[in-house]
Amino acid sequence: MPKTLDFLFTPVDPPRKDATEANPLAKNSTFVPDVVEVLQAEFGSAIGDVTIYANEHTIYVQTDRIADVCAFLKDKHGFDYLSDLGGIDRFTENDRFEVFYNLMAIDRGKRLRLKVRVDEDNAVVPTIVGVHQAADWNERECWDMMGIRFEGHPDLRRMYLPEDFEYFPQRKEFPALGIPGSLPLPSQVDDGKTVDDPFPAAHGSKPQLRTPTSQ
Amino acid sequence: MDLQDSFLTTTVNTVVNWARSNAIWPMPMGLACCAIEMMAFAGPKADASRFGSEVFRFSPRQSDLMLVAGWCSYKMAHAVRRIWDQMPDPKWCIAMGACASTGGMHRCYGVVQGIDNFLPVDVYIPGCPPRPEAVLHALMDIQEKIRNEHTVLIDSET
Repeated sequence: MPKTLDFLFTPVDPPRKDATEANPLAKNSTFVPDVVEVLQAEFGSAIGDVTIYANEHTIYVQTDRIADVCAFLKDKHGFDYLSDLGGIDRFTENDRFEVFYNLMAIDRGKRLRLKVRVDEDNAVVPTIVGVHQAADWNERECWDMMGIRFEGHPDLRRMYLPEDFEYFPQRKEFPALGIPGSLPLPSQVDDGKTVDDPFPAAHGSKPQLRTPTSQ
Repeated sequence: MDLQDSFLTTTVNTVVNWARSNAIWPMPMGLACCAIEMMAFAGPKADASRFGSEVFRFSPRQSDLMLVAGWCSYKMAHAVRRIWDQMPDPKWCIAMGACASTGGMHRCYGVVQGIDNFLPVDVYIPGCPPRPEAVLHALMDIQEKIRNEHTVLIDSET
């Protein structure tokens, strides 16, 4: 395995100038300028950039206020449904990771996306489990795959991979084929040990013969 | 000829292998979409009961054949191996589909690249997923394998 991994980075497409009007996929349900105004009035500088693409509002929030913003939106503006939460690896020098929160106000039929950004050195985001219980497993998955810690999460274990796995596989520097030896396999023989080779069969491992009968 | 007075000769091997090969009870290790075809294999159209294999045992203690259907993750491999170890001898194993045989399209960090890395596989079935007929064919291959074993003879010698 090479020491440094080559990586081809494709920058994000800039939104088209006429995106709001001409995009045939644009929906009004994601266009919420009133909520953006209310948030800016309530939280001031904690609300960062607001971008709009294809009629979708995305609000960048100061990382340590995300739980407050979610609680405010839930209590005062009916955004009571967390439809998705996850991490993004932007592979940039600063603010490498991004966590997105897709909220929905079911009664009003409106959707809203919040985002927070964190550095690689200090990838810690406050949890919103206290506001949206549904965030529990999503935050665990995000920790499992991206290595973003969620401060105050009641049970921040890995979601899919074994607890002693040392890497975060959805980070862009992780090789898609995995790191040999990082995930053990059960042994073919009856010694109760595990095998670190991912291809033991190709490297001469023979299954244990059950009894003399199968020879 | 009066059958009541006559007798047939055979070997113990033949009788035991005949009995074993016509009552292979599968342990359905359905891990992914191949499990749907595995159900069709047991269902009335493909009808595995013609070969004595309709009895899907969900207890490894009562099974003879492990049908690993679908891709197996590294985390699941330990559970599969544990269930395999709980099955009584003699036992056979089928790797059903491309994923169980080689990892298939899941060429990634989390999926075992072929269950033969931790299980002794007798028959591999290609396909994504294989047709129930292909599973029947694999079952018939297992039957043929059983009929050619010299099981009892070696058992008594050791």
